Amino acid sequence: MEKRGLKFYLRIYFKILAQDLKSKMSYRADFIISTIGMIFTNIAGFVSFWILFRSFPSINGWGYYEMLFLYGFSLVAITPVQCLFDNNWSLRMAVYSGDFIKYCFRPINIFFYYQSEVFDIKGLGQLAFGIGTLIYSWVKIGLGFTPLILLKMTVFLLTASLVMIAMQNAAAATCFWIMNSFYVLDLVTRFKDYAKYPVTIFSPVFKFIFTFLMPIAFIAYYPSLVILRPDEVPLLSWLSPFIGAFFFWVSYKIWMHGALKYNGTGS
Amino acid sequence: MGNIIEIKNVTKEFKVLNRREGLKGSIKDLFSRNYKTVRAVDNITMAIGQGEIVGYLGPNGAGKSTTIKMMTGVLEPTSGEILTNGIVPYTNRAKNAQEIGVVFGQRSQLWWALPLVESFKILKDIYQISNEKYNGMIKLYKSLVDIEPLLHKPVRQMSLGQRTLSDILAAFLHDPKIVFLDEPTIGLDVSMKSKIRKLIHALNKEKNTTVILTTHDMGDVDALCQRIVIIDKGKMLYDNDIEHLKSFFGSYRTLKIRTDGDLSAQADSIKEELPYFSVTADEEWISVLVDEEKSKVIDVLGQLQRSYKIKDMQLEEISTEEVIKKIYEEGVV
Repeated sequence: MEKRGLKFYLRIYFKILAQDLKSKMSYRADFIISTIGMIFTNIAGFVSFWILFRSFPSINGWGYYEMLFLYGFSLVAITPVQCLFDNNWSLRMAVYSGDFIKYCFRPINIFFYYQSEVFDIKGLGQLAFGIGTLIYSWVKIGLGFTPLILLKMTVFLLTASLVMIAMQNAAAATCFWIMNSFYVLDLVTRFKDYAKYPVTIFSPVFKFIFTFLMPIAFIAYYPSLVILRPDEVPLLSWLSPFIGAFFFWVSYKIWMHGALKYNGTGS
Repeated sequence: MGNIIEIKNVTKEFKVLNRREGLKGSIKDLFSRNYKTVRAVDNITMAIGQGEIVGYLGPNGAGKSTTIKMMTGVLEPTSGEILTNGIVPYTNRAKNAQEIGVVFGQRSQLWWALPLVESFKILKDIYQISNEKYNGMIKLYKSLVDIEPLLHKPVRQMSLGQRTLSDILAAFLHDPKIVFLDEPTIGLDVSMKSKIRKLIHALNKEKNTTVILTTHDMGDVDALCQRIVIIDKGKMLYDNDIEHLKSFFGSYRTLKIRTDGDLSAQADSIKEELPYFSVTADEEWISVLVDEEKSKVIDVLGQLQRSYKIKDMQLEEISTEEVIKKIYEEGVV
């Protein structure tokens, strides 16, 4: 028997994904309406951002296009969590109803099995919107396209995604211990909205919180400094890929710890 | 025939907070460290051979699910030893999962939105079933049940019966050594029940799969199990052949009578007249479980005939259901 390695999991993931997309497409009205909804959500977000900058030409030394860059960066960075880890939102229900137990009976990783079940296609609209914003601001700032900067961009976008995924995993996993975990997950999602502002605008207390306790500063601010302010990159920015990977690993461990001590309900 | 499951002196305890009553009590509970230990499973020992179908019975809350969760590797026993297929399930959860199949009556484990055949294909990959074995299994399924109309139907659109059937087929797909069926016929109509019993029976014969069946439906037990294990309050009450159990209660007969008038009211007054025997009534019959060592059936009938106008009567062996009921109520001596 083949060892269940990365190749095994990728193959299964794409198989489930393909089937899931096929069945989602069959609900045409649902698919179209939710796509339109997603587009409007993004437009609304952008408009409120634009109105804000009509009144304040710069925030703490950050100009309009730099802020736009940060905005686009955070949109792209939250796409993976939106598309691939959306089932975290249903974890609470699965745990309380006892349905979660079914994930414990397969000879594969529980975290993988659970997350593979849902692919949220709406995130792709957000991705397109984010990439558009990013490219527009990129050109306006005049950053240029060198292989090095593209490599940096890829690495730091991945970093930012990992942090976002880590936060959601940890927040969702709280349902293994507490009853009203929806508020934890909701809180984290709300805080993520602050990710698109430079962390320097917050007071030292919040700066500390957003860097170390609820690390949303790593979703856009610290990684994008590497691209936007290459002359004054703080140590934390260079460390952020490792911090991102570390956060992800910790959140995975928390999630799995909860899943493995899960008893289920009576039946 | 080696033992596929060995359970030795297994106990599972849960810590439960001692809750106080009322609002004041619940505020106190917030700071309380006053736990009591509840034994869900208490010192159970059994060995199950390859190919057996074992009925695992007990009233609600007896510890059946807890035992099954320990055998499937979801829960760790507090003490004692479990070996399934020669390995410890809790420390080798994934390896153990490769050799078992699980069906929970009302919880489908299939992909909700996918047609059954696509679920099968994903399972084929997950369990790494070879093409040859997979095709063999599908061929076997086709010979046993009419699965053609199910294969291309999304699980979400299936009736409960079709879904249960699909879940059972999915559980057997990777040819596991053991299949756990937790109330597989719950909520199903009579014809679906018998279809599912036949399927389980055929798969057990064909693949020599060990089946652990928990159920409250004695029809399942009569149709499938040669051996039953009964637990109550975590303790094992009985583990033996079903025939042995019936002979144990060999002196019992069920006397069924039909009378004029309101049956349940009459059953109540018969209960007062015959305090030693259990009396029940349904829409058609009043049943009296008579222990012939205490008094002869004919005497009971005579006594009843003096007070009631009996239109019809039947005499039956004790049914499995009544045997189990007696064990729940009185235990086995």
